[in-house]
Amino acid sequence: MMPDRLDMTWIVLIGLALATILVPSLVPRPLLANALLLALAAMKGRRIVLDYLDLRAAPALWRGLVTAWIVILVLLAWLGSAAVALI
Amino acid sequence: MSTADCEQQEAGWGILEDLPGDPMIWVLIFSELAAFGLFLGAFVVARLIHPAVFAAGQAALDSRLAGLNTVVLVTSGWAAAHGTAAARLGKKRVSRGWLVGAMALGGLFVAIKLVEYGGEIGSGIGLETSTFFTLYFLLTGFHLLHVCLGIVILAVVCRRAEVVGVETGSAFWHMVDLIWIVMFPLLYLVR
Repeated sequence: MMPDRLDMTWIVLIGLALATILVPSLVPRPLLANALLLALAAMKGRRIVLDYLDLRAAPALWRGLVTAWIVILVLLAWLGSAAVALI
Repeated sequence: MSTADCEQQEAGWGILEDLPGDPMIWVLIFSELAAFGLFLGAFVVARLIHPAVFAAGQAALDSRLAGLNTVVLVTSGWAAAHGTAAARLGKKRVSRGWLVGAMALGGLFVAIKLVEYGGEIGSGIGLETSTFFTLYFLLTGFHLLHVCLGIVILAVVCRRAEVVGVETGSAFWHMVDLIWIVMFPLLYLVR
């Protein structure tokens, strides 16, 4: 049986989750590691929004609002970590 | 109440009606995302104020267990999404099977989180250990409550396995998944 979109999303999410667990030990530079970790979180979040929450066909307003929630939080987290590194 | 009144009331959700499931669950989802968003934002700001305390706190966490829980919750979301797809096709029995799988994995998430809490409390860490742990226990505890509530909601909609009910329960479940996906790196991994 061929995997459908939900199966493909699950495979991608598992891959991204495993990459997330490996990043801290593979990337020694904190700012780069943080950027990668948060980018991976945004990618996972986006797949959940589109395929699990099923907002792919929903009005752009709702898709945009939930995506904005993810983007604002990961950007805030990265800026916070950058500021901590600079202090 | 006349039929026309009922129809008008049912059509009163405006653009929320274009979302899967009961529109009321989306009011809850957006409220929860706002609450967790503010909470996580406060965590980032507190980390700016106490960087050393947060670094020490984070080093005491078990990120492997949390990583395992990410895999468990993502897999649970996959099962719930399949449950929704089956319900839409009218395959109630199949839908129930997927939803039971989603609930079982949700239960596993709770068990792993409790093991993690047990290890932390066993090593003398508590709510008042530091600002980091106060926020850590409140954030993850609040999320854990949502996981438990999500399991209850899935159990309720699983009985009849009707499309709107399953869509509604799954939407809440995926919100819980989404919040964890953002919370995990922020609390455990971002240095």
